[in-house]
Amino acid sequence: MLRAAQSLGKPGSFGGPSTTSDLSIDEELVLHTIGWEPVELVTGVSIYSVPAGVWNWGSGEIVSASSAHLQAFAGAVKRIHAECARVGGHGVVGVEVERSVTRHHITVELTGTAVRPVADTASSKRYPVFVSDLPAKDFTLLETAGWRPLGLAYGASFIYAPRRSAGTAIQQKGQNIELTNYTEAMYSARELAMERMQEVAIALKGTGVVDVKVTEGPMHFARHAIGFTTWGTVVALTADHHRTIEPVVLVALDDASAAFDASSLRG
Amino acid sequence: MTSVPDDVPEAAGRRFQSGAFTSGLTVPDFAACLQMGLEPVGYVQGFCVMQWGWYGAGSPYLRGTTPYGGTHGQYSESWRCPHGYVSADHRTWGQNYEQAWVENAWGQGFGTAYTRMIEEATSIGAHGVIGLVDTTASLGEMGVLEFHVRGTAVKVSGGPPPPDGRPWTTYLAGQRLAKLVEAGYMPISIAAAVSSIRVWAYCVTEYLMEGRAYSWGAQVNGAEIDQVAKAHMAARQVAREHVRAQLHGDSLHGAAIVVSERELSEGDQVVECTLRGNRVRRFKDFDPLARPRPTLRLS
Amino acid sequence: MTGKPEDATAAPKDLPKDAGRRLQELEHGLFTSDLSVNEFLLIKEVGFHPLGFVMGSSIYHTGIQTRKWGSSQELTKLTEAMYNARELAMTRMEEEANELGADGIVGVRLDVNYYEWGKDAAEFIAMGTAVKAENGQSYRNKKGAPFTSDLSGQDFWTLMQTGHVPQGLVMGTCVYHIAHRGLGQTLSSTGQNVELPNFTQALYEARELAMTRMQDEADELGASGIVGVRLEEKTHQWGSHTIEFLSLGTAVVKTSDEVTLPRPTTIISLDN
Repeated sequence: MLRAAQSLGKPGSFGGPSTTSDLSIDEELVLHTIGWEPVELVTGVSIYSVPAGVWNWGSGEIVSASSAHLQAFAGAVKRIHAECARVGGHGVVGVEVERSVTRHHITVELTGTAVRPVADTASSKRYPVFVSDLPAKDFTLLETAGWRPLGLAYGASFIYAPRRSAGTAIQQKGQNIELTNYTEAMYSARELAMERMQEVAIALKGTGVVDVKVTEGPMHFARHAIGFTTWGTVVALTADHHRTIEPVVLVALDDASAAFDASSLRG
Repeated sequence: MTSVPDDVPEAAGRRFQSGAFTSGLTVPDFAACLQMGLEPVGYVQGFCVMQWGWYGAGSPYLRGTTPYGGTHGQYSESWRCPHGYVSADHRTWGQNYEQAWVENAWGQGFGTAYTRMIEEATSIGAHGVIGLVDTTASLGEMGVLEFHVRGTAVKVSGGPPPPDGRPWTTYLAGQRLAKLVEAGYMPISIAAAVSSIRVWAYCVTEYLMEGRAYSWGAQVNGAEIDQVAKAHMAARQVAREHVRAQLHGDSLHGAAIVVSERELSEGDQVVECTLRGNRVRRFKDFDPLARPRPTLRLS
Repeated sequence: MTGKPEDATAAPKDLPKDAGRRLQELEHGLFTSDLSVNEFLLIKEVGFHPLGFVMGSSIYHTGIQTRKWGSSQELTKLTEAMYNARELAMTRMEEEANELGADGIVGVRLDVNYYEWGKDAAEFIAMGTAVKAENGQSYRNKKGAPFTSDLSGQDFWTLMQTGHVPQGLVMGTCVYHIAHRGLGQTLSSTGQNVELPNFTQALYEARELAMTRMQDEADELGASGIVGVRLEEKTHQWGSHTIEFLSLGTAVVKTSDEVTLPRPTTIISLDN
């Protein structure tokens, strides 16, 4: 600290590039250990319109909603990708995915930090620019094990919940039976969303998708519409073979509730 | 009570004369602070209460007027209706523009509170202020916004005061700060800015936001709402530019970005983005740590 | 359990009978505590033993005070009420700890409860775990009372490593009425986001008063500093213009210059 404080009085000789990042110091240090550094805070936003009236009647999939979600995701990814490439980043880590689905539009907002290797020489092997929602720590671990993120994969499907006829409802009242048409509809919608995510992953030539998030549930504005959305980071092995990481086992004496929260320092 | 608060109030002066230091640091942060050679000297704070409202009337004829009569910021973009004359209330043009007057007022409130905190810190001979917390809160239904900045003033044991006498500041404290310094960064100050983008929807945006097809006769499904998406991108980019302007060649570390959207009236909304972080300067060469051991805890 | 101080043998007069019985049971060596296992072990690590869970409470009628619509001022009666009620709860908790022969109380929580049955009445509660040094050395504060602190077991351990010992939970409060703005005032500044210096001044003063009072308490304890200062704002049930500013922290005294914290090692945790 003393040396750092004394440096304020001297003219700076360690200028370096001016960067911006939303990484915590832990994340930055952990990135440094594999020779990477942050470049710039980057974002991508896209908003797609959903035609009026599609939520309330029909059967099967709500195609226009599913496609709006897909396009909004693709649009946001494209923009954050472009911002990353423009500032010379090799990829974006720790992307925060915020989505909102409302009656008339679907919004996808992505924010993350573009990163690159410190020794970025022309001879070093270039991979395509990636966008990943894995935190810097996970990126480092993957890299240590010989893997690399390739991009975000995403899928969605919105369906109409099947309606039971009044007669059926009365018949089934008081019975414990499976509502097979519901099971089937939900099942296939979930499959559809996952399948779409996999298609994106295959297009990126990935080996797998990790840390997949799934959201599902009825739309708050239309009770008969149910949405399934899913996204995750596509990864592939880039080293010759997988390297094991061999963790050290430890017993911690801090309680989870007493553990320190980084965000509290940011105000 | 009648004087304008450009000085530390009497109560604070009394507080600082007392023997005991106050520190807003948690115990682990306090310990880390002592370990790295920082002595807490006092808890310092600054305030500024501003009248806060959204001005500029909702009528399309008053679009683009600012309550200060000045000019808009850097970003401005407009859209024209492709339809020709439809009706008197048809929104024939739309505009996105940066509301510099809102950004400046925010900067003034935040800056004033920050400066007052620095004054308190200077008056007790601090070298820096760590563990900063800033909040902006509206007080009840009073139409006012309070900016409050506080932190723990510290001295570097045996170290020189800052060259220009102005204490350095950072949101970080404790081990995080220790690690930052170890990584070769010296905290310079916090950096914070707001961007405010007003969106006056034109007919196409309006129709798309309501899920209507906009081309007469032809149904257009699933189009991107270009005007609003651009406003969102611009809000983030403008905030980043404002913060960049405060960096003077230094770097921004640990940034936090918050975006909010609010509708003022039909077809009239504001997209606001707050970006804050730590302005840091490299004082020694990049010196990476050894790769850490992965651990798995058993509790 | 050994080494009970002389002054603690007589049961404190204002503790309820049931508390007395519970505490007697605790004196036979059983301890109760809301500490987690981790906290318990860390407290043992620095040479303390938990004695029992202690608490104190006070139900206080907070009354009302006339406020002037257009002026910002401290409501001294309310300030006093809030202060006394908390002080009573704390003192009762300390008495319980004293009864157990404790050196201090860790993990103190201060709560305020409102009940349906009591309009304008509130219950102020203080609870924590009484601890005693195992080496027989007294850690009582300058006033001869057990120290109090809102530190967790982990924080207590860490603080001891820095050569500091807690002296007491210190607090300061100030109930303040923020002026309503007159019509004339509202109109004159309409249309611009500008500073309202009177408001700034009022809020500044209210918080400073709370902090100064906290500092005075620390000075009485001969503390060298206060760590973990928090500023809380509560409107309780008084409406939005009357705000209580409460500042809380743990007063500490420096006993050694040595910081014995080991240097942390860097790890990557694989836990979620």
